[in-house]
Amino acid sequence: MPATNSSQPDKNNVQGMIMRGYTHPWSCHLIFKFATQPGAKEFIKTILPYVQSAADWGDNKPEIMLNIGFTFTGLKLVSKLTTSDLAGFPPTFKQGPASAGSQQSLNDFGTSAPNTWVFGQTGKQVDCVVHVYGMDEPALNKLVKIVADAAVAGGLTEYLPIANGTKRLEEYATVPRNSIHFGYLDGIDQPALGWGSPSDPADLSAFLIGYPNKTSQPGPSYGNAGIFAKDGCYNAFRMLYQDVNVFDTFLETNAKAIAPKIGKSVEDTIAWLAAKLNGRWLNGSPLELSPDAPDPKTSHATAFGYSGDTTGMKCPFAAHNRVANPRDEELSEQGPPPRLIRRGMAYGQPFNSKTASEDRGLIGLFLCGSLSNQFELLYSWINTTNFSNLFPSQQGQDALIANRSMPGADTSFTIPTPAGPVEIESLPQFVVARGTAYCILPGISTLKSIVE
Amino acid sequence: MTNPLTLYVPIKQDDASQKIAQTVHDTFVATVKAGLDSSEIVHYARVSLIPNASGEGINALMLMTEFDGPMNPYLKFFWDNPGTQFAFSTIAGIALTPPNPPVKDLTGFENFINNNNLNEAGDMYAAYPQTVKEIEKAFSKEKAH
Repeated sequence: MPATNSSQPDKNNVQGMIMRGYTHPWSCHLIFKFATQPGAKEFIKTILPYVQSAADWGDNKPEIMLNIGFTFTGLKLVSKLTTSDLAGFPPTFKQGPASAGSQQSLNDFGTSAPNTWVFGQTGKQVDCVVHVYGMDEPALNKLVKIVADAAVAGGLTEYLPIANGTKRLEEYATVPRNSIHFGYLDGIDQPALGWGSPSDPADLSAFLIGYPNKTSQPGPSYGNAGIFAKDGCYNAFRMLYQDVNVFDTFLETNAKAIAPKIGKSVEDTIAWLAAKLNGRWLNGSPLELSPDAPDPKTSHATAFGYSGDTTGMKCPFAAHNRVANPRDEELSEQGPPPRLIRRGMAYGQPFNSKTASEDRGLIGLFLCGSLSNQFELLYSWINTTNFSNLFPSQQGQDALIANRSMPGADTSFTIPTPAGPVEIESLPQFVVARGTAYCILPGISTLKSIVE
Repeated sequence: MTNPLTLYVPIKQDDASQKIAQTVHDTFVATVKAGLDSSEIVHYARVSLIPNASGEGINALMLMTEFDGPMNPYLKFFWDNPGTQFAFSTIAGIALTPPNPPVKDLTGFENFINNNNLNEAGDMYAAYPQTVKEIEKAFSKEKAH
């Protein structure tokens, strides 16, 4: 029997981060392994009152709140589901991101290899990730302490992914929100979701479990597993180190060689090259709308496409935004491109001569109804840009975040210009995966049922 | 990068299941051709019937294929295609150990394929790195000349 019995989700039952982007400037993401079922349940029971739903909080914005995700191993330990029920979850979730199947898409080779991860690899199993949010630092610390104390009481092991296992994965609140360490404005565009409005029912089925339709069927949809998962959403949680030194050096070195060809100063060429890698200027202006220079008027623009730029003259084919969000690009496959809700933020101090050796990057929370058909499909396109017949290199890569050690990858980067193409022989590794966990953010009634 | 799928499904020994297995084998190419053609990622696909040790009857059905890119993200394409969905559903229907839970939706299909796949990416030798699309494009250009 399908678990679906209503066409609209109850926002009180959906964890908040799924349906709304939080604007709390402080956050911390605590990563745990359970020890025993009683300990795990006691832990969940203690922190359950702080779980934020997607219901409108009106003028009473919570000072502190959290959301909880379980990996398949965590879910197995805490749920009452039988082995047969558990078999109904999708294989990508069950096998996890370090599995051979997921690595066909993620391609975490070289310095990103799963055996280097600080969490999520063999021997460093993740069962639960708790996302804690606060309006200021004391508020955040207050709730982090509650969670950490509950973890100790429940016998949980906590992974501290920063500074050789001494610090938690915490948002660096003084980096301007929605900026990343490479200097780009981020988080400009999210899927415009109607959450089940009759005009676009595909929105709901693509992100929430329990509302299958012809377009997407996020699983499990049936039986006890379907009931357990209803109103949940998957979260591909990924810690991504950003090598600012390599990025800045790459821009400076190449800008000197490119500047004479395009008739710009070296300084302007650095900004131009950074924009060509990303598809947007540092201020957010998309190259499709502002091809020659950043424009404050377009810095948050989302109404544009790539179908009119079939030569890549405005935006190179491999530019990160053109790959990760293809919009109206002509695709090889039928149907719309896969979509993700991104709830990420920067961690680590900004790069300078004093902080150069410190860890910094992106805390990636990529939400979707299907890890394989949305997150992993997009990641496979990032590593191999073969999703559009228009792209000249079918073995090419996303210019910013792809894995350059992947066997057979074409790591070159071509920037079409009126004076002829600018060819960069090989792009370096700008982003390194430090850990990954595939979680489900269950409905709140499911969380309650776990501890009953 | 080319990846392998080797779907190995021991089948029931009753007459009806044995006949269905033979039909799956005999009609496989015709059933899946349109779906695999339009996918533009499958290099080769074939079904083999594994005989019982006694030499009489069919022990298992084995589908072997080599395809471009990751497997799981593209299973939706084959589930959505009527021809390939029919072929896989038929195979699941005569499995000696029926899929649990039954294959009713895409998640069930993904589980059936993953649970019965004998190969991983590192198991396969490939003589060339080109994709189906690249090969077809190169040869269609050659023809045009």
